Amino acid sequence: MRRLKLVLALGGVIALLGSAGVAMATTGATTGYPQPKVVVPASVSTPFENRYVLTAVGSGAGIRSGEMKFEFEEGSSPEFLVGISQFYVYGPTGEIETALFTFYPFTELPGGKGLKATALKVGAAASYGQVTPDGELRMFDPEGDRVKGEMRLHGDGPWPVEFRILDEDESTGGHPPAARQLPEARPTDPGWGADAAEYEGEYELTDGAEDPTEKAGTLGAVIGVAQGLGVNGAVVTGGSMTVSGRPATAEVELQTGQEKRSFTLTGLAWQGDRRTAQVHDEGAGSPPVGRFEGTGGNGVVKGSLVSGHTLYKVEFKLK
Amino acid sequence: MILALAVGAIGLIAVAGCGGGGSSSSAGAGNSESGGGFAATAEAACAKADKQIAALGTPQQADVLEYMERTEAVIEELHRRVGAAAGDGAAEAAYVKGLATAVPVLDQMTNAARNENYDAVRELSAGLVEIHLGELAEAAELKVCAEVPVSTS
Repeated sequence: MRRLKLVLALGGVIALLGSAGVAMATTGATTGYPQPKVVVPASVSTPFENRYVLTAVGSGAGIRSGEMKFEFEEGSSPEFLVGISQFYVYGPTGEIETALFTFYPFTELPGGKGLKATALKVGAAASYGQVTPDGELRMFDPEGDRVKGEMRLHGDGPWPVEFRILDEDESTGGHPPAARQLPEARPTDPGWGADAAEYEGEYELTDGAEDPTEKAGTLGAVIGVAQGLGVNGAVVTGGSMTVSGRPATAEVELQTGQEKRSFTLTGLAWQGDRRTAQVHDEGAGSPPVGRFEGTGGNGVVKGSLVSGHTLYKVEFKLK
Repeated sequence: MILALAVGAIGLIAVAGCGGGGSSSSAGAGNSESGGGFAATAEAACAKADKQIAALGTPQQADVLEYMERTEAVIEELHRRVGAAAGDGAAEAAYVKGLATAVPVLDQMTNAARNENYDAVRELSAGLVEIHLGELAEAAELKVCAEVPVSTS
């Protein structure tokens, strides 16, 4: 009898270790993430608790294939999702490289259309055990076993993405199939409108935030620099833009307190209400450091200006 | 005998305590004598710090770490100089405490920049905003220290 108990106990331990091992090997263990500040109701997040394989992606992303899993943090209350992913990306010289991302924290998209999460990369520059924000993943509500969305990484994008939800017993065997490359649908018409007179001129920033450097004394400058950083939206307290020339370029100045940043936008293009441009931080002749993606019309241009790892949400109005 | 010594000792402690409390809670005119020396030293130190920080300009992303390291060094030096000159005034103490609070926050921001975690750099800077160092400088009647350094580039 004692021997039977010992065998049963050992069997239990082995089974437990085995299941944990499988779980960690196939999904990774999402433990240790702190409770997010914003709670997403379980009714909203539960439909996203799945394993996914990438089926289509915008060609500009340079992603060949990938898979990911969203799971509820173990023991969390209220429950919250954490996503883990592995993408295979085309390297600068054409070879395939591996890119690992964690998606956390999740929040609801406006209008209850799905979820979004910060993409946290595990990069060579990060210290052991640390991850750094590198973009954002937006997942729209599942339609059957398909989920569409958008992804923004390392200061570029957004690119459309489509995932298929894997069945419980389905596996890619560690070799997710190549995703369909979606052609870039970026505007191609030059300028920011049909008539240059409609968009050329001087603009003022209309969505400036409160100045965080006010009353900061000697610390004001470093606050101004720091608050103007980050993929999750830098603080912009003031700014201006001048659009001129043939072909048209835009000189943009953004401020956080008394700290000023200057950008030059080239390759201005439009289609319908979409407005895009390349972003340079050392003049038009310097290498592009990001993109401007937004909308425009009737003397207003608004959108996201990305420079490296920093994203500025701006809205300009023609004076 | 022992009882008398104990009572005497308690009395001395009480007197010392009262003196310390009264001094640290006072501000303004009561400290004008020591505050004058402090003000001159602090203003000179702030002017130097402002000049050093302004010379750093607004860094491009690749230079944020170097900017943070240099700024941290400047504020540490400012804290050391101002702290050494501070008298007993409450406003002076509050300003020095503000600088002391800023130093570890700047250290965390520098570490975040070292990890290229620029969102963390931004989020941590909220800790500097909360100090309201400019207001503390105004309360201590430190005009230069209340000013925000303006980049020269």
